Amino acid sequence: MPRQLMIVDDSMIVRNRIARLCSDGRLAGLAIVALAGDGAQALELARAKRPDLVTMDLTMPHMDGEACIEAIAAELPDTRILVVSALSDKATALRALLKGAHGFLHKPFKDEDLVCALTELMD
Amino acid sequence: MLHRDLKAEDIEVFSQALVEYFQVTTGEAALVRSAYLLDSGEPALWNDFNGLINVTGGYRGSVCFSAPREMLSHVLLLAGEQVFTDERHSDIVGEIANTLSGRARRHFGEGLEISVPIAFPGRVATAPSAETFTSLPFAIPLAWYGYQADLVVRLDRRS
Repeated sequence: MPRQLMIVDDSMIVRNRIARLCSDGRLAGLAIVALAGDGAQALELARAKRPDLVTMDLTMPHMDGEACIEAIAAELPDTRILVVSALSDKATALRALLKGAHGFLHKPFKDEDLVCALTELMD
Repeated sequence: MLHRDLKAEDIEVFSQALVEYFQVTTGEAALVRSAYLLDSGEPALWNDFNGLINVTGGYRGSVCFSAPREMLSHVLLLAGEQVFTDERHSDIVGEIANTLSGRARRHFGEGLEISVPIAFPGRVATAPSAETFTSLPFAIPLAWYGYQADLVVRLDRRS
């Protein structure tokens, strides 16, 4: 049974790009269960869909990624979260990991980098 | 009086970020030309689509990526998009500005707090900002697949 992935990013282009990696088979074993454009929507969808994995942007409207990570980690401790963000300084990455993220990939990224990062989180 | 607030190495960070963005996301590096100060004090390079990031914290100002529709359509195509609406063009120009700003934060540190992208279309006279600044903005022109675009950065250090 495929693992369930939720994609969170305020850019539709980024959401589509990550989703295509699942639909074209490069992320075999993952099925898209939800797409969210901000942290508040992501938290609501996470509660409803209980995804196995989440890709999480940080700079988003309504609720930022750090607050969303903290909330998801508290409510769904089995959900694994990969931060995919342009905020790539060490302090930000460390803070996201301390709040409950499991990995960090900075933008811009190559498709193969994301496949590798998500595959590692699935193992 | 307006003055120059950033050093050459600060500006180089943005040039490197431009090269990296296009190389990594499209496989084709952008040709980045020398940055120059905009003497008028107001950015006047806005193109068909503009992605603006407001900067707060230890700095205040903005980072704006401005590009023609055809260039952004090409970027969208290489990203796998098949829809080329104004909404998608605004999305990608904002995402580029966001990525460049995030990359710059590695150099400037957490003091460079960046906003979510604001996309505004068209060739308007000035960026939408209610603030007044003490430093001059600078522009970094770039070419990619023959298209011309500009990154316009304005950062005041807070004392």
